[in-house]
Amino acid sequence: MKKPNISFKLPKIKIYGIDVVKNFLFFAFFIILTLFFIALIISPAVHAFKSSKKDYYQTKYTLQITTNQYKKKLTELKKLQNSNRKILNALKKDFNKNNFKLFASKYMNVLSIKEVNSTVYKKNFLKTTYIMTSKIKSPKNFYDFISALKNYKSVLRVYFPIDFIKNKENIKLTLKLEHYKLK
Amino acid sequence: MYSFTTPKPKPLIKEDTKLWLIFIGISIILYISFTLFLEIKTVLYNKDINSFNKEIVTLKQKIAKLDSQKQFIYKQKTLYEDVMVKNSLMKDSIKNLLDLIPDPITLSRISFDKNKLIIYGITPTQEIYNMLMLPPLESIFTETKTYFYQMNNGWYTFKSENYLKEKQ
Repeated sequence: MKKPNISFKLPKIKIYGIDVVKNFLFFAFFIILTLFFIALIISPAVHAFKSSKKDYYQTKYTLQITTNQYKKKLTELKKLQNSNRKILNALKKDFNKNNFKLFASKYMNVLSIKEVNSTVYKKNFLKTTYIMTSKIKSPKNFYDFISALKNYKSVLRVYFPIDFIKNKENIKLTLKLEHYKLK
Repeated sequence: MYSFTTPKPKPLIKEDTKLWLIFIGISIILYISFTLFLEIKTVLYNKDINSFNKEIVTLKQKIAKLDSQKQFIYKQKTLYEDVMVKNSLMKDSIKNLLDLIPDPITLSRISFDKNKLIIYGITPTQEIYNMLMLPPLESIFTETKTYFYQMNNGWYTFKSENYLKEKQ
């Protein structure tokens, strides 16, 4: 059996000495190569790039908003701290008997202050109870004393039992004082 | 055979083929460079996104901390104002009670407790006490008991026990 003689030869068409077929094939190869690169390499890269760019600007915007929110909250907190400086300092102060006696001496003669107990109050505070005995000239001294507690450097509450006993020259006053401070 | 022209060396690759190969080569380099550029930019963007996300998480934690600090300041303020208001109420209630004492009656001791008021004093007559002092006490307290003891001069010492019953 004779083998079929298959031979393929590119036809040679030349215009002004340029091989048209060869150049056409090169051109076709170039187009295919370009399409291949676009479809398989460039397009996924562009897609990933666009998606990342979008995420980048979104996250940057979120960060900007969060930063502004933080700055706003910080300013608010500082304002709040400044406007309540007196209260915040008062709640940090311990109760000093001598200092209190000096403060109360404008209104009464403090005879004794005894600590009764100390308990945790509303989780964050410490409430210490004292029994104070003193001498006052008139109930007005007591009223003035309570009014002045607003200006005292620590937080004190006057509480029951309150006992007024009249003596010859003055009134013996016994009362409970509650001191509040941060735990 | 004799040729009048000298033979020219035949190049391995023809001139136009060489041009095509160079052109295709440069194109491939450009495609790869562009892709690499995009990949690098993507990686940098992703890196920045991660860094931004970390910052956002940190800021959110800080914001939560600021909020809790703010709440705690409000808590302190509430406690302070509550104490001051209670002091003021205490002063007013004691002042109001002492203002109720009519002139003819003299007090020797007065004890205030949470739901209880005990008054010791001297009254010229039981009627004066019952007319001038008892009605206001009865209007304030839910239960009032008074004990009188006659003195040598005919006046009376009295003990008044007044109770407030807790609402059930």
